[in-house]
Amino acid sequence: MDSDSSRSKGMEQALVAEAKDAPRAGDLAFDRLYRSSRDDVYAYVASLLRDAPAAEEVTAAAFERAYRKRHRFDPERGEPRAWLFGIARNAALDELRRRGRQAELTAEPEDLHARAFDEATEHSERRLAVSAALERLEPGERELIALKFFAGLENLEIAQVLGIGESNAGTRLHRAMTKLREACDGDA
Amino acid sequence: METPRDDQLAADLKALRPTPRPEFTAELDERAAAGFPRRSRLPRLSFGPLRTFPPRRLALAGGAFALFAIVVASTLVVANQGGSEPQSNLALLEPKPEPATPSPEPPDKAAAAGSAGAPQESSGVQYEAEIPLADSEASSAAGFAGGAASATAAPELDSPSRVHRRAVERSAEIVLAAEPGDVGEDSSEVFEVVHAHDGIVMSSSSREGKPGRAGARFELLLPSDDLGDSLAALSEIDEVRSRHEATTDITAPTVDTAELLRDSNARIDSLLAQLEAAETEGEREAVEAELRQERRHRARLRGSLQQLEHRASYSRVLLLIETGAKEESGTGGGTWGVDDALGDAGQILAVAAAVTVVGLAILGPVALIALLAWLTHRAWVRRERRRVLS
Repeated sequence: MDSDSSRSKGMEQALVAEAKDAPRAGDLAFDRLYRSSRDDVYAYVASLLRDAPAAEEVTAAAFERAYRKRHRFDPERGEPRAWLFGIARNAALDELRRRGRQAELTAEPEDLHARAFDEATEHSERRLAVSAALERLEPGERELIALKFFAGLENLEIAQVLGIGESNAGTRLHRAMTKLREACDGDA
Repeated sequence: METPRDDQLAADLKALRPTPRPEFTAELDERAAAGFPRRSRLPRLSFGPLRTFPPRRLALAGGAFALFAIVVASTLVVANQGGSEPQSNLALLEPKPEPATPSPEPPDKAAAAGSAGAPQESSGVQYEAEIPLADSEASSAAGFAGGAASATAAPELDSPSRVHRRAVERSAEIVLAAEPGDVGEDSSEVFEVVHAHDGIVMSSSSREGKPGRAGARFELLLPSDDLGDSLAALSEIDEVRSRHEATTDITAPTVDTAELLRDSNARIDSLLAQLEAAETEGEREAVEAELRQERRHRARLRGSLQQLEHRASYSRVLLLIETGAKEESGTGGGTWGVDDALGDAGQILAVAAAVTVVGLAILGPVALIALLAWLTHRAWVRRERRRVLS
């Protein structure tokens, strides 16, 4: 995973650098960024919204917004994936804000992971417990875990998405994982 | 159930990762291939061509447009200035406005003038109309006899109670066209005409050379009552290329000064009477001191009035003899040179700066308000986003 991520990151940086040279190269770079991040963005947005149709809508809107702003991307200010997930995060939060779903974040979620649950429950009762524990985390903690394990971002990228320091992101992630493990213990 | 280890927990979380529907991914792939066309329900203004430009290029284009607007506005302003008030050498001949307070004169001269005592003032002021003053003494005290007055205009009332005669200062500019070899002869004729009409040549200069370079320049003072004949005589010297005349009404400063002079004379008469009646040495000294001061004041007024009389009695005439093709007559002898170019450039820059300042004065507050609104909205959106996850 890590090696794939670093290889992908290097490729994206090179492609984004190309984007400065020619519009066509920029489109190509964005296309590669899209293909390497499409499912990750969806997974992250879905974990925030906990609503599959809304997640699809927001994912499409986020890519559309990123495509329109692709010329504004500055490699000196962060990684391409961090930039893309920042846009997706804002789109998701705007959607939550628009729909007044703050209360729902702490309520019982829709059966978003139904398919995953079906498979998980078939293979492991433990995964069901992890899923339940995940739902009991704070929204911010759940977002951190989503960025790390659903979107596959590095701590540096997570820090850039959230606008915090890298060490701070690592600390928060560690706390969230500890809390998740404790929640699993409670279920056990 | 056992507590999951870190690697187990990570694996479980990745297994729980939401995955998109294949239909959705297929649809999104199509949209990506099409360049993410907008799906907005409402029609939006199309800024497609602008969006393809990077912000820096847009900023450069905006700056170029602003510069172009400034240049156009400056050109229009300069053109309007040039059209409404054509530059004339007459302005150079016009004396500065008469100050409200007359200029001082040397004390010895003032004393000498004051010793005359009698309020008789000579006057050669040109009056277009001779109208009796409401105060008959004022007319006699100021000596507005107007011996050389042209007295051509109808009476004109300044106010219901006070009626004055008009004093007019005249100036003229004549540009003659001549062959380079005729400049000397024409200059001699100018002197003859001026002397024949009792005029004064204040300054003259002539230059020989090729057509366009050779020429002459005269600054003349000609009697105002004979100005028409003088100009006609000057115009006969050679071909008239242009001729301008201008008048300035200096009635107000003339009348004011004359009235002040009349008051000063009355004051001196009164002081002389007091001096005659003084019985002690102290009283005499005090009255004499006051008398000296008042006589100095009267001398200054008299000098100012004489200046005004002179301005009305003699007309300033600028006569230029040019050679070569017709050009705008200017201070540089009719040729447009580096000085003129620098002057024009300075004027254009000044107008451009003024236009820029006005534009900034209008756009600045609007842009500031828009910036503050945008920053406020952005801060509010960020706060709301944080609140959603808090």
